[in-house]
Order: sequence, then C-alpha cells, then structure tokens
Amino acid sequence: MDIESAVVLAAGEGTRLRPLTKHRPKPMLPAANRPILEYVFDALIDAGVEDLHLVVGYKRDRVQNHFGAAYRDRPITYHVQGKQLGSGHALLQASHALDADFLVVNGDQIVREETVTAVREAHTVEDVATLAVIESEEAPNYGAVKLDGDRVVEFTEKPRSDSYRLLNAGVYVFAPSFFVEVESTPRQHGELSLSDSIAQLVENGSPVRGVLTDGIWEDATYPWDLLSLARKLMNRGLVEGAAGPNAAVVPGGRDGAGGPDGAGGTDRTDGAGGADEPGRVDGPEGVDGTDGASETAGAGRTAGLRGAAALDRSAGADGVYVDRTATVHPDATLQGPAIVGPDSVIGPAAVVGPNTALGRNVTVEAGAVVRGSVVDVDSRVGPNATLVDCVTGEGVQVGAGTVAPGGSADVRIGTRIHEGCQLGAVIADRARLDGGATVEPGSLVGPHASVRTGAHVRGDVDEGAEVRR
Amino acid sequence: MCGIIGVAGADDATSAVLLEGLSNLEYRGYDSAGIAVGGDEVEVEKKEGELSALKRALAGRTLDGAVGIGHTRWSTHGPPSDENAHPHTDESGRVAVVHNGIIENYRALRDELEAKGVSFSSETDTEVVPHLIAEALDAGADPESAFRRAVERLEGSYALAAVVAGTDAIFAARHDSPLVLGIGDGAHYLASDIPAFLERTRDVVYLDEGEFAVLTPGDWRVEDELGEPVEKEVETVEWTAEQTGKSGYDHFMLKEIHEQPKALRQCLRGRVDELEGRITVEELDGLDAPEEVHFLACGTSYHAARYGALLLQEAGVHATAFLSSEYATSLPPIARDTLVVGITQSGETADTLSALRKARGRGVETVALTNVVGSTVARECDHVMYIRAGPEIGVAATKTFSSQLVGLNLFVEQLLADEPRNRDVRELVSALRDLPGQVQEVLDESRADEVVEEFMGAKSFFFIGRGVHYPVALEGALKFKEITYEHAEGFAAGELKHGPLALVTEETPVFALVTGDGENARKTIGNVKEVEARGAPVVVVTDGESDAERYADSVLEIPATHERTVPILANVQLQLVAYYMARRLGRAIDKPRNLAKSVTVE
Repeated sequence: MDIESAVVLAAGEGTRLRPLTKHRPKPMLPAANRPILEYVFDALIDAGVEDLHLVVGYKRDRVQNHFGAAYRDRPITYHVQGKQLGSGHALLQASHALDADFLVVNGDQIVREETVTAVREAHTVEDVATLAVIESEEAPNYGAVKLDGDRVVEFTEKPRSDSYRLLNAGVYVFAPSFFVEVESTPRQHGELSLSDSIAQLVENGSPVRGVLTDGIWEDATYPWDLLSLARKLMNRGLVEGAAGPNAAVVPGGRDGAGGPDGAGGTDRTDGAGGADEPGRVDGPEGVDGTDGASETAGAGRTAGLRGAAALDRSAGADGVYVDRTATVHPDATLQGPAIVGPDSVIGPAAVVGPNTALGRNVTVEAGAVVRGSVVDVDSRVGPNATLVDCVTGEGVQVGAGTVAPGGSADVRIGTRIHEGCQLGAVIADRARLDGGATVEPGSLVGPHASVRTGAHVRGDVDEGAEVRR
Repeated sequence: MCGIIGVAGADDATSAVLLEGLSNLEYRGYDSAGIAVGGDEVEVEKKEGELSALKRALAGRTLDGAVGIGHTRWSTHGPPSDENAHPHTDESGRVAVVHNGIIENYRALRDELEAKGVSFSSETDTEVVPHLIAEALDAGADPESAFRRAVERLEGSYALAAVVAGTDAIFAARHDSPLVLGIGDGAHYLASDIPAFLERTRDVVYLDEGEFAVLTPGDWRVEDELGEPVEKEVETVEWTAEQTGKSGYDHFMLKEIHEQPKALRQCLRGRVDELEGRITVEELDGLDAPEEVHFLACGTSYHAARYGALLLQEAGVHATAFLSSEYATSLPPIARDTLVVGITQSGETADTLSALRKARGRGVETVALTNVVGSTVARECDHVMYIRAGPEIGVAATKTFSSQLVGLNLFVEQLLADEPRNRDVRELVSALRDLPGQVQEVLDESRADEVVEEFMGAKSFFFIGRGVHYPVALEGALKFKEITYEHAEGFAAGELKHGPLALVTEETPVFALVTGDGENARKTIGNVKEVEARGAPVVVVTDGESDAERYADSVLEIPATHERTVPILANVQLQLVAYYMARRLGRAIDKPRNLAKSVTVE
C-alpha cells in the first residue's frame, strides 16, 4: 500500500545511555558521526516516505534545531509530547495530523530501508496494523510474536518461553482507526504503551499483519554500544551523507578550506580484515514496553576492521572519509575505517583510526592518537594525548599527554555491572581533562567534570565533580 | 519596510500565491494588507490589521486573473486603515499600485492632481501613482508607457508594482528600495524579499537602481531608464523555504537564538586555519590596512560596529562607529585613506545605504558587511563580506548580531594580516573555533528563564559593561526594549555614577557583564557595588573568573574564553533574558509593535 507519512518517536531520553544524554535525547547521539535519527529518516525516505512527523519531548530544542523544517526536502511536522508517558501516548500526539494509514518507527534505533519497504508493501486496506517481525533467539525477552501465515495471532511482552522465535522489530504501519485502540488501552503505571495496544488488537481478533523481514541494525543500548555501531556503519560505508541536511547553506560562501588533499572519496570494503567484536554485554535487560523490543537483535554478528596498516590517503585509502571542510596536516596518519567530520582539524603526527569517527569541528592536536573511538562535536584532543576505545560527548577537552589507554573493564550502569566491556572511557559533554591525566578502562566521566593535571581516574566521576591528583 | 509580492501566470492560483507571499512577509511587521488581481478588470481587496483580517474579508472568495500584486503596509504616511492600505487605485479602478518607500514630492503631485479635479481616497503618498498612470492612459498612452511616465514624475525612494485593466502584465520599477524577480516554471514573481516566493522558485533576478521590469504569464524582461533592454543574470539562491519555517519552536526568535552555533560555523568556515594560525577572508583579498576606518550602521548593527571599532583601536588603527542617519546628516571629515564599512544585516537599510553613498561621493573605498547576498549594499560597495548567518525572520536580530561580531574579528585580522606588527592570531583562531560549542553550552544550560521571573513588574532594566562588553550592554538593552516593551537602557559601567545612578532603586534590576579577572572586571565590580548599595537587584553575567558572584542576586554563567569572543557568549544570555521576559509578558515576540525587520526608509 502506498504510505506517504511516517511518525518517528523521538521524545524519550534513553536513560541507559546516560551520561551522554544530559543535553540531548538518544536519537541525537552519534552513530559514527551523524545522529542516529538521520539514519532513521534516510531509511524512511529511501523507502518512499514523503511526509515526516516527529514526536519530540526531552531536550527537543536539539532535535528541532538540527533538522529544521525539513530533511532531504521532506517536510517535518513536529509534535510535542509534554510528558514522556509511553510510546502509545507519544503516538497520540500526532493523531490529529494523520488521516490515512501511516508508518511508525522509533527515532533512536537504526532501521533498514528494506524493513520499512517490506512493511509498507505488505500492508493492505483491510489491516489495522502491520508490523515487521524478525527471527531471533532473543524473542522470549522482548515483544514476542506468533504468526499464522501473515496474521499475528499472538503478541506477548517477554513471555520468557523458548517456544517464541519471532520478535516485533518496532516498524509498523497503522490505520487511523488504531488511534481509537490506543486511547482505549489501559495505562500501566500511568504510561500508555504501543505494544499493549497491539496486544489488545490481536486479542480482539482484529486484523494484524506480520511481515517476516531480515533483521535490523544493532541498537545502541549502552554508551559503549556507540563504538560498535560506528564500526559497523563505517564498515558498511554508510557514512557518506555525513554532511547532514543543513551543511551546504553558506550564502555567498565557497567550498571551505579543504584539507591538504581534499579528502573525500574512498572505496569501502565490507568486513575486510576481521577481528573480534569487543565484548558486548550479554543478556538483554528486562526492559519495559516496545522501545526495547529489538534492541539487541543482531548483536555481535559483524566483524570489525582492525589492525589495518597505516593507509596512504592520497592513494585512495580504504574506508577513510574526510569531510571537504576538514583540514588534515600532511604529516598526520589516518587509518581506515575512519571519518573526519566537517570543520575538524588533525595536527601533524596525529594518528586517527582505525574504527574512529570524529564529529563536527573536532580538533586532534599534534602527536595525539585516537583509535577505536567516537569523538563528538567541538571536542579537542590535546597534543600527545591518547584515546583508545573511548566515547566522548560534545565539547570535551582532553589535555596534553592525557592517556585513556583502553582495555577490558567491568562497567557499572545503574545497579547492574557489565563485565568485560572493551571500553576506554565515556567522557560526557564538556568534561575537561587537563594535561597528564590517566583514565583507566571503563571509567565514566560525567558532564562538566574536571580532571586536573596528572590526576588518575578510575570508575565514575560525577557531573561537575573535580578530580585532583 | 513594507512588503511587496506579485505573480504573473499562476492561473487559478493567483490570489492564493499572493496570500502565501504576504504570509511569508508577515514578519516584516505591518498594520494592513491587500491584494489586487488584474486581467480584463482589476479587483482589489484590502484591510487594516493582520493578514487574517484580509483573509476574513475575502471569505474564501478567490480573485481571478492572470496577474496579481499584494502588499503589507507599515505606516509612513497616514495611520493604518482600510483606505490607507495598498493596493491603491485610480478613480475609475482601472489601475492598482503597490509601493514601498517614500515619494518625497507627493505633496506637490497631489496638489497638482487635485487642481485638475482628481479626488483622493487615502492619505498616502502612494496614491498619486495610480492617478498619474490613469492620467497618462487618458492621454492615450499604452499601459507600459503610462507606468513609465508616472514613474518619471516621482522623487524619493520606491519599489513599485502596478496592474492595469485589460493587460495581462505587471509593471515594476525600482529606485532605492529593493525589488527581486522570481523566475518560475510557467509563472513569474516579484517581491521586496526573496522569502515571499521562495516556496515557488529559487531562481531570481535582482533589479538594479532605476530599472523597470515587465512580467507577463509567459515572459519577463528588464529595461533601463531609457527603455533599453537589460541582460539580467538569473541567480539561484541557496536559501530554501524550509529554513524559514518555525520548525517546532514557538517563535522565530527562539529558533534563531538556537541556530547560532550553526550560523557561527558557517561564518567561520574556510576562514580560520588552526594548523597555520591564520585568518583569511578571501573576498577581501587585496584590501590593505587603512589609516582610518569609519563604521556605519543602525540599531543592532551599530552595536556590532562599536565592537568592531574597539578591535581596530586595540590594534592601533583609528576607527569610529557612526550611526548611519547621523553620518549622512552631518558628514565628518573623511581622509582619503579612510575605509568606510557599512554594516547592515539586510543590506537594504536605507539610512546606511544613504550614508555609504555620501562617503563614496568623497571618493573613498567602501566595504559592506551583510547577510544578504545580492542585496543593494553588496552591489553598491567596492567590497563585500558576508556573515553567512542564514535568513533571519524575527524582527529582533539575534544570530546575525553574533555573526557580525565573529565576522568583525575576521575582518579586522584580514585587514591587518600583512601588517609588520605580525599579529599572533593562534589563540584567537582556537577561541573562534571553540565558540560555536560554547554558545551551545550557554543555550543548553542558561538559567535566564528562571532569573527573569524574579523581576516581573520591575520599573526599568539597566545593562552595564565596560570595554568590549559596552556594546553588548547596549545591545542587551535594545533587545530587551524591542520585544518586552519595558524600559531598558545600556550604559558604560563607568558612566553610571556620572548621572544614571540617580535612576537606580530597588525596582531597577541591573544586568552587569563581568568576565576575566583583570582591571576591567575589577572596575566593573566596583560599579556593581555602587548599584547594589542603592538596593538594586543585580544579575551578573560572568565566566566565574572573578568574585563578581559575591555581589550578585543572580548569576548567568558563561564559559571562560578569549576576551574577544566572551562578549558573544554574554550576549547570548542577554538574548535569552529578553526572550523569556517578553514571553512571560505575552508580547508579540516575532512582530513587536511599530517595528519592521529591515528599515528601507530614512
């Protein structure tokens, strides 16, 4: 069926990604060097969606400011969810703007165009709801589905029974009549969940179609997942649109300074080389509602590109993408896969990559080493500093000679210990590490924290805290 | 000041296109609106008040015709009323005219026409135009010649568009007031500002001084004053309609405040080189360091000009910021090696254009610092540097001021690049590159909304600063009065005790800008103590380097950075102060009363 409109749910914070979500919701966190939400929009538009409805809430300024009124020429209508009262409640915010059948996807989870297309094409006028279904061993821990042909005959949250092999991928088409269903769904703990409404439809025997699809991208559940997500995207060469929707708006401007070798076009080979996926936390956590339905589907299946030799960029290096507005010193080394974002600067003798994504306006000063890391916008890595397997927020400053050498560590998030994470450190927005500091693997440095010269960081540093030697 | 839109060849959609265009121009601030549609007959509908009043008057009725013109008015002659709204017509209703600008000899023309028995139905200067056209038609002229003959009689500034019954054409002329053609697929447009038709086409033709244009459903042409055809270049504008939407924000002003990091990145792109420690503004290549610099500007741009003058003075260059209207009124001595720099966001500010023309009359080199590509100032000055802030819709300038300050830093360094002084700009380059992220930090963490709540109902608001913070204090006060309608003044911190201190009471909150811990900070803290002693509530905007917080009732924090970029951060806090105060007061933030975005009358 021809579906023109899509509702993208992007109002929630994504608390398990704290402290990175201090100033923006999870959909705006970087997947390589673009916000996750851009990939979601790309998939929808590639699948033929013409009209985007975005439900925003938590830190919505950031979303609105990034995307403006349109993405790739498709208009975006914003719907504000004042309080985050569940995915069903989020969807209701857009109800007045939709009078034909529409798609619904999560804004914080990368989705494939093929999945969107499959659901869009399978849906018929008779269906109230159509949802993408994937095979996964994780089904019993999520929104599990049983199909009879193309009919969904059972829809259960976390049945914890091995008889379930299919789970709800979180990509839906609904008829407008579904809004009535959502409104009549009983709230659980004050929240209105989409999956409860779907379960109710199925129970009542309404026509709900299931479409078996090929699976989806790995989601980022915890901060370190941003590292493997970036690696996968880079290996698949999916970072090319990195300029973003608003990049080229320079009235009277000209093409920026450009790097010494103009950078840009490179070949990308999937999965060349091959190494282990860094230790990923096993066992999905019990999560409520639909949002988590498919979060770990596809986990631990892709191989990263590791240990590639230093690549000669001028000879068309593998997997090295340098934005045309970035500047790279001729004596710097970029090892693919690696992305250098717009306006970024790489100093002499710096080594960036492999498996590294630098966002917009990042500075890597002379002699610094950044490997296996995602460094977000406006951050500075000082001279001779080393970051291995690190995730940074925005505007992070790493002083001269400060070292986060990386390695395996146990990381605590909330009350849960995640063992054996391959994580150098998570350094949240505007944290400042002065020179000569050492950061142990698995450390979480909070927003605006200050680590003084020569200090040693181990474990958590709270927001705004100061660590002295 | 007012807005013009016209369309030829929109078939059944003529009135819809006109209303859409007027709605896009709404931000220019106006008090009445109207449209006229031409064809066999000319039909006019116009109404005092907002566009919604006009739409109500139309009540779903569409005026049919191959061509149409529309107008939003901001009163210069005669109060807002249905009669004074444009389009204006002749007595027989054959001719309809819309006009921006001021017709300076309208009194004489009106007397002349009235002596011939013509009766006027409005108090506007514009109405002479349709009567003059009708007079020429009666004398046997064809519509185009009649339009030309009427325009020849006019003195002053104008952008004019007219339709005449029985002719499927729009006749337009430009003199000292902007007019742009939009070249669409099948339909052609004309407008005072590009956003009016940006949803329809991005291919534009800028009319130059003294040019005439004729738009018909299938064709368009431009002629000079003598009627000779002019080859015009069709340019494609980069701005897209999507950038002019509100994108989920309650106000354009808030959207534009939030757009500042992006705007500054665009301003800096390709102009700062951290590896080489160099600043280059390519379009100003070849401009040598002058002996003296005059900055000409109005309003917010004037505050930027003062900041620019300070930067140059620090570098040992004689530099002065002038208010354009005063400069034009009493021209100071201009030495031959003076560089005259006009700062205008829109590039159409009549006062600044007029002052620049006077300076050019003295034979000096001129530079335009503007945001609008192809604007009049850009075409009239010897050099132009764009601040690249993107379109600004809110009447109260926000992001363009920040971009002007950054642009001025670049301008100054480009100017002095070859100086033997051998300026080291490395620190400045790093600070400029850090600035967008720091602005984001202020936006993410500002407490302005809570702070203003404490001062609802205060009598007056004072803003004080010293050195580079003085222009910011002036701008903070201007922004505040523009959108809150509350009384606000900006003062040089050291000047308070020489008079204004008499106004300070418990009911006059004082916003003080204190950054760093040097002499300026110390002295400003002294001034803060003066007002504190008089019981005034004090809000300090500070980077926390000094102990200014100790003397403050509230604090608005900004990150510590280079002394040249820190005022930009302080200003963002003051923008938010003004915005949230205006919002709490329920003001029309994007369209403050009596104000217009770009002031194209002197």
